Amino acid sequence: MNHSHVRGTVSNPAGHPQGDPSVAPASAGPGRPPGALGAALKAEGLASPQTRAGGAAICTLGLTLGFQQRDVLCNIDLDVAQGKVTALLGPTGSGKTTLLRTFNRMNDMVSGYRHSGDVLLDGRSIWRSGLDTMALRRKVGMLFQRPNPFPMSILDNVVAGVKAHRLAGRAGIRPIAERHLREVGLWDAVATRLKDSPFRLSGGQQQLLCLARALAVDPDVLLLDEPTSSLDPVATESIEALIRTLVPRLTVVIVTHNLAQARRVSDRTVFLNRGRLVEHGDTGQVFENPAEAETAEYISGRFG
Amino acid sequence: MAASAPVAKPEGGAGGVPLPLRLGAAMRGSARRGDVIRWAGRIGAFIPLLSLCAIMGVLLFEALPAIRLNGWSFFTRSVWNEGTGYNAQIVTTDGVKHLSGSSYGALPEIVGTIGTSLIALVVAVPVSVGAALMIVERLPRRLAYLVGVFLELLAGIPSVVVGLWGAVTFGPFIAHDVAPVIARNMPDVPVLNFFRGNTGNGEGMLVSGLVLAIMVIPIVAATTRDLIRQVPILPREGAIALGMSDAQCARRITLPWVRSGIIGAVVLGLGRALGETMAVAMTCGVLLGALPGNVYTTMTTIAATIVTYLDTAFLDATGFAVRTLAELGLVLMVITLAANVGARLLVRRVSGTALPIGRGV
Repeated sequence: MNHSHVRGTVSNPAGHPQGDPSVAPASAGPGRPPGALGAALKAEGLASPQTRAGGAAICTLGLTLGFQQRDVLCNIDLDVAQGKVTALLGPTGSGKTTLLRTFNRMNDMVSGYRHSGDVLLDGRSIWRSGLDTMALRRKVGMLFQRPNPFPMSILDNVVAGVKAHRLAGRAGIRPIAERHLREVGLWDAVATRLKDSPFRLSGGQQQLLCLARALAVDPDVLLLDEPTSSLDPVATESIEALIRTLVPRLTVVIVTHNLAQARRVSDRTVFLNRGRLVEHGDTGQVFENPAEAETAEYISGRFG
Repeated sequence: MAASAPVAKPEGGAGGVPLPLRLGAAMRGSARRGDVIRWAGRIGAFIPLLSLCAIMGVLLFEALPAIRLNGWSFFTRSVWNEGTGYNAQIVTTDGVKHLSGSSYGALPEIVGTIGTSLIALVVAVPVSVGAALMIVERLPRRLAYLVGVFLELLAGIPSVVVGLWGAVTFGPFIAHDVAPVIARNMPDVPVLNFFRGNTGNGEGMLVSGLVLAIMVIPIVAATTRDLIRQVPILPREGAIALGMSDAQCARRITLPWVRSGIIGAVVLGLGRALGETMAVAMTCGVLLGALPGNVYTTMTTIAATIVTYLDTAFLDATGFAVRTLAELGLVLMVITLAANVGARLLVRRVSGTALPIGRGV
């Protein structure tokens, strides 16, 4: 692969992994001041169709955010490809989890949180007035670093979101639970003990249960925050295999510390360092032929 | 005292040595000291058990003649009669001396005790749980701290002061401004019809129950607050990330997580309400020997009866009145213990979904 996609340029429609290199690689360096694209788009008030149409589920426009005085993310312009798995890589403190939690507005609750710039989901700001954050979070699901079952039965766990959003009547609950438990491959293990406590399941099973729970509300985007960091290799493998089955139906964004995992599961890779977006491109290209020296150093394990 | 002595002993080691080492050295150095600690521990462990048995035993011994003579009808009759006026005769029935014409039935006391406590819990539990949720999840840290301080201050108000306020200020306010409105609008159906009729003068089950609620709220709220603080953030974040509202998260995640602890807190509050004496005695009117007509008119509880009637009971030369009070005290203990046991059973039943081990509750 000799073309490189750097920084927020997604042009290929979903389903075609080999990107079209026609968009000029806008370097993070001297060519264009960071954030110019975002500023321009904001001036237009909309994502421009040429660069953003079709491909992007989430666009960030000059996103800067922080807590109290500290800036955590600085001027991020990123298009998250629709129907693909995008990995967010970066050393600890690079802001990748913060970026992930911005997409479903989980940072809103943190004290001292502030942001400028914008994040578009399906072309519309996630901060627009009148937006129902609960509806947003239904559309943008999330899986956490450690499994977090609710203190209710396995069955109730799977349909907790379905009930909260009133997506199905009483009769529809159980089929939904079964479908999603099957989808994550947990049905055979729990079919006979749906009324049991989820805390008796193994860690991997608990995480699968949480995944089923997230899928049950029919999200468009799934955010995975180091979903396998507390799991054993076998469970990790099953989660990774599942992630691949979710695309292109869903858009998946995964934060991971595990380079090999990013390489295995993602179509696109974003490298963040100290709150800046350093590089964004097809996973193969980023790993084999990184455009930036920082990326190359991180990939080769020289820091982070 | 005994436990702290070896630690303070200088021979155990200089300042830099970690505590367990020093303690170990000191204990090895003196076997006698170790024995003292061991025995102090053993005695300490048994004191609660011994005192419970002693109190129960003495009460039972005192009350036994009264239990024999009053019989089962003690629990079903509404009568409180220590005997025939100034020229009472001492008579002996079944080998028990008592004043002629004396007759006791504790139904009003039992009903009053349970009734006031129920009113107290019905009011206090939702308020306390709501306040605890508010303090932990909504209020800014400083304000939460301030509210917590006031909660503890409220818990520290002597019951006699609460009772005085209830009798002088709160009771008349209820009787004049609140009770008439409730009494007019309550439908005439079972249970609710106790809220109809004569609105009294401010001494009654409703006022006593509300005064008790004020005394129970700090206990339940402070305990629940500490429990809710222990709920891990991860499942709550999971609920929020799933698009649940704060209320759904509280109802389906936070409160179930601490359900058994909250029941414990409620039992703690119930124990206080059942046994509370002074505040109730000052606000209930102490109507002996008759059931209250509704929640507004005078009534009595076991504790209020014992404290207000004790003086008179000592005038009974046969001692039977005091024995009856002892029986009454025994009934109160049994009710309290039954509430505790019931709560334990309830905890076992409702803790259906097992929580992860080491959840810090």
